[in-house]
Amino acid sequence: MNDPILDSATGVATGLEAIAAEAVERARRAGADQAEACVESSRSFSVEVNGGKIETLKQSATRGLGLRVMVGGAVGFVSSNDLGGERMEDLARRAVALARLPTPDPANALPTPAEAGEAGGPDLELLDPAVVALPAETKIEMALELERVALAHDPRIRRTDGAHVSSGSGTSVIANSLGLKRSSSGAAVSAYVVPLADDRDGKQQNGAYGMSKRRLSEMPAMEAIAREAASRAVARIGARPVATARVPVVMHPDVAGSWIAEMLDAFSAESVIKKASWLTEKLGATIASPLVTLVDDGRLKRGVGSGPHDGEGVATRRNVLIERGVCAMFLYDTYHARRAGTRSTGSAVRGYSSVPGIGFHNLCLEPGGDSPEAILRKADRGFYMTDQGSFGFNSVTGDYSFQAQGFWIERGEKTFPVEGVTVASNSLDMLRNVAAVGNDLRWEGSVASPTILIAGMTVSGGGA
Amino acid sequence: MTTTSLRALGDLLALLPRELAAELLEIAREKGADFAEVYGEQSVHTGFSYEENRLKTSSYSVTQGVGVRAVIGDQTGYAYADGFSPDDLREAARVAARIARGAPANGRPKAFRVVDAPWPFRLERPAPLALDEHGKIELVERANHTARAHDPRIHEVSVSLGDSSKSFVVASSDGLWAEDRQFLSRLTVSSLALEGSERQEGYATGGGSVEAAYFEAERTPEEIATEASRTAITLLGAREPEAGVYPVVVSPGWGGVMVHECFGHSMEGDTIRKQTSIRASQMGQLVASKGVTIVDSGIVPFSRGSFRVDDEGTPAQRTVLVENGILCGYLWDLLNARITGNRPTGNGRRSSYRAVPLCRMTNTYIEPGPHSPEDLIADVKRGLYCKSMGGGSVNPADGNFSFQVTEACRIVDGKLAEPVRNATLTGNGSDAMLKIDAVANDLEIDGSTGSCGKDGQWKPVGVGQPTVRFREITVGGTST
Repeated sequence: MNDPILDSATGVATGLEAIAAEAVERARRAGADQAEACVESSRSFSVEVNGGKIETLKQSATRGLGLRVMVGGAVGFVSSNDLGGERMEDLARRAVALARLPTPDPANALPTPAEAGEAGGPDLELLDPAVVALPAETKIEMALELERVALAHDPRIRRTDGAHVSSGSGTSVIANSLGLKRSSSGAAVSAYVVPLADDRDGKQQNGAYGMSKRRLSEMPAMEAIAREAASRAVARIGARPVATARVPVVMHPDVAGSWIAEMLDAFSAESVIKKASWLTEKLGATIASPLVTLVDDGRLKRGVGSGPHDGEGVATRRNVLIERGVCAMFLYDTYHARRAGTRSTGSAVRGYSSVPGIGFHNLCLEPGGDSPEAILRKADRGFYMTDQGSFGFNSVTGDYSFQAQGFWIERGEKTFPVEGVTVASNSLDMLRNVAAVGNDLRWEGSVASPTILIAGMTVSGGGA
Repeated sequence: MTTTSLRALGDLLALLPRELAAELLEIAREKGADFAEVYGEQSVHTGFSYEENRLKTSSYSVTQGVGVRAVIGDQTGYAYADGFSPDDLREAARVAARIARGAPANGRPKAFRVVDAPWPFRLERPAPLALDEHGKIELVERANHTARAHDPRIHEVSVSLGDSSKSFVVASSDGLWAEDRQFLSRLTVSSLALEGSERQEGYATGGGSVEAAYFEAERTPEEIATEASRTAITLLGAREPEAGVYPVVVSPGWGGVMVHECFGHSMEGDTIRKQTSIRASQMGQLVASKGVTIVDSGIVPFSRGSFRVDDEGTPAQRTVLVENGILCGYLWDLLNARITGNRPTGNGRRSSYRAVPLCRMTNTYIEPGPHSPEDLIADVKRGLYCKSMGGGSVNPADGNFSFQVTEACRIVDGKLAEPVRNATLTGNGSDAMLKIDAVANDLEIDGSTGSCGKDGQWKPVGVGQPTVRFREITVGGTST
C-alpha cells in the first residue's frame, strides 16, 4: 500500500515515512552508497472571482517522491508522482544507474542525524487547524467580498483582474540511509485582489494587494485588503514620466523586499565558491550602511517560509547575513559546507521533484526607527518607488535597473504619480547609500522589509 | 513518429481508455455543466548539468495524471489526480462538477471523433529519445570545453541539457478526442568572465522541438558555447548605458521578446473578453506603425512554441494579429472563444494536467519589411543597438513593460560603437508598436530560448522579428 492518506480534518498526511523508508531501502539494495528520499503530500484549494461570480474553482491533492542517491561520490536524482511498488523499484534502479554517470566528488554526502541537529524544538505554529477546516463556501465568500469592496471603493474602479483566495496544507518527509528521519506539516491561506481603475484613453491602472498567512486569525479583514488595493489603483491615475536625474529614492516595503530577495543569490555559498557572486571577496567587510541588518530566519514563528528543517533534513536556524553593515556570513547546504570545510546553515530548499539548492526561508531587513512619513521628509525631493517590473537584476554584478512606478516627492511630500521611468544603480552602492530604515516592517509573505531611503539612484524617463 | 513514441502513447491510452474518459465526462456534467473535458498526461524530463569542469548531476523525473474541467457559462471547476487510479479520477470529476449546482446536463455526451490535424513538421528522431545518456553528456562536455577554451579570462562555465517528452490525450463532452506527443530539448551555456575585480556573465541557448541531428547540423554545442563566452568577455569592457530617451535598434530573433511582451499579451482572449486589455476596443484600428505585420503561429517548424494540437485539442494555426499596422485578429482558447462567439485559434495551453488551460501565445513575431539591417543603423545619429536581450515583462492592465538588455552597443553617427551593458528598456505597450519607424528584411524566429509565465504557469514559446528600429525608447542606466 503506497498511497499516502491525507486527512482532510487535520491537514497531516500519514504513511509518508513508510514510502520514504522503502525508497531508501530499494536504492541501497540497487547499489547506492547513500540514499535520501523526500516525500510530499499536499492538498490545495483556490477560487478566483470576477464580475461578482466564481470564475475558477480548483481543488487538488498531490503527492510525489524525490530520490537522491550517491554512488562513489557521484549523484543521481529521480522523481515521480507514481509511487506504486513496481514503479518505485524502477526508480531506484534508474537513480543508481544515473549516479554512475557524473564525476565523483568527495564533497557529495548526505547529512548524518548528528550533523542535521535536533529534530523538534519549539512549535513553530505552522499548522493552524482553522486554516485546514476553513470551508470552501467561506473562501468563496471571502473572494466575493474582496471584489465587492474594491469595486465599491471608487467610481473609477469598474472591474478587477480577479479576486483570489487560496489555502493549502501538506506534509513533507525527509529520510536518508544514514538514519536521518524528519517530518513537518504546515498550512497557509492567501488572499489578494487586483482592482483596475480607469485612466485616460482607455488605459487602466492596477493596484494589487494581498498576503499569505499561516494563521487564519492573522489574516486581516478582506475589506481592509480590498481598500488598500483599490487605493493603490486610484492613486496611480494620471501617472507620467519625469525627467532623467540622479535623486534620492524611497523604496516602498514591496520594492525593498524584492531587492533583498534578488540579492540573496550573492550570499549563496555556491555562487561564492564559483566566484559568481559580487560578494565573493567581501566576507567580514563593511558592505552596507550601519543601518542595514539582513536576516534569514528559518524558525520564525508562524512564518510562511518557516520549517523545523531544511530540504536535506538539517535543522533550520536564524542566519544573520549582514550585521549593521558588515557582511557576516554566507549560506550553505551540506555539499557546499563540505567544500568550504564548514557546516550547513540549514539553507537547502527544494520541492520533491528537484535536487536541493541553496535558498532562503524568511528573509528580512530589520526595521529601524523612522516612520515612512519621516523618510519622505528626509528624501525632500526625489522618487518614491512603489512598484517595479520583473527583470532588471544582474545576480553576478549586483547591477540594479528596473522599470518603476511610484510618486514624485517634493518638499518631503508625496505629489503626482509617476510611470514610464527606470531606476538604476549597483547593489553595493545602494547598500552603502541606505540613509534611513523605516519602522513599518510587516510580514505578508516570506520576504519582508520596511520602507527605506537610498541617498542617490539614477531615475531615467522622458518627462519634463 | 518513431516506434518508441507510439508505444509510449499506447501506455497512456491503456491507462486512460475511452470508456473511462467517457465516464469521467459524464460525472463532470452531473450537476449541469455545459462543457466537460478530461486531460491525461505522461511527461518525462531528463537533465544533465555540468559545473566546475565536471558532470554534477543527472536527473530523471516522471509526472503523470489527469485533470478534469467542468464549465458552466463562464465558470470553471477544475480538479486533478496524480496517476491514473480510476477511483481518484472519478473523485476529481465529481469535485470539478461542483462548479454547477443543478441537475445533470441534458443529452447523451457526443461520441468521440478523433481530431485529424496535419503535422506542422515531423520529427523522425526527436532529440530526447534518439540521444541516450552518453550522447547527451557528450553535448554538454563539448560545450564546456569550447566555452572554457575561448579565453583565459573565462573562470567558470555552467552547461545544462534539459529535455522532455510529453504524451497527452484530451477528450471533451463536445466529442473531441485528440492525442499528441511533444518533444523539447534545450542546451544552455553560461560563462563567467573575471578580470581584476570585474565579473560578467554571458549566456546562450540552443534547441527547440528538434531532431537529434540539430546539435550537429543546425546549432552545435561549440556555437552555443562560443556565443556565451564571447558575450561574457565583451561585457568585461562594456560601459554603463546613458540614461534617457533616444532611438533604439533591436537585433533579429530573440529581440522579438519585445513584441511578445509589449503587444502579444494584450491580444490574449481572456483579457479581451474581460476588457482588461487596452486592445479590446481596438479592432480595425491603427495600433502599430504602417508596414508592421504581427503574427502568432503555432506551426513554425522545430520551435519550442509549436505543436500539432494545443492542450485543448485545437489544431495549431497561423493567426495574423496586425496587418500593416491595423489590428485584425485576437488569440482564442476554447473557453474565451466559446463565451465571445469566436473560433478557437489553437492558443489554449496549460503547464500540465495540474493546471487550468489559459489563452497563451505560441510563436509570436514581426514579419519582415523592406530595409536592409545596415540602413536602420546608418540613419541613427545617437542611439542604442540591442544585440541580446534578457528577460522582459509587462503589466497587462496598464501596459507598462520593461526589458533587460544583456548586451548592447552605442550607435554614433550611423555606426556601431563601444559595447554597453546593463541597459533596461521601458515604456508603455499602448504606443510601443507605433514607435517602430523601420523594419528590416532579416526575419529570424528564436524557437529555442523562450519560456513565458502567466498566472504561475510556464510554457515554452518562440519569438521573432527582423532588425527593428524604435524612434525612441526610455533607456535606464546609471550615467546621465
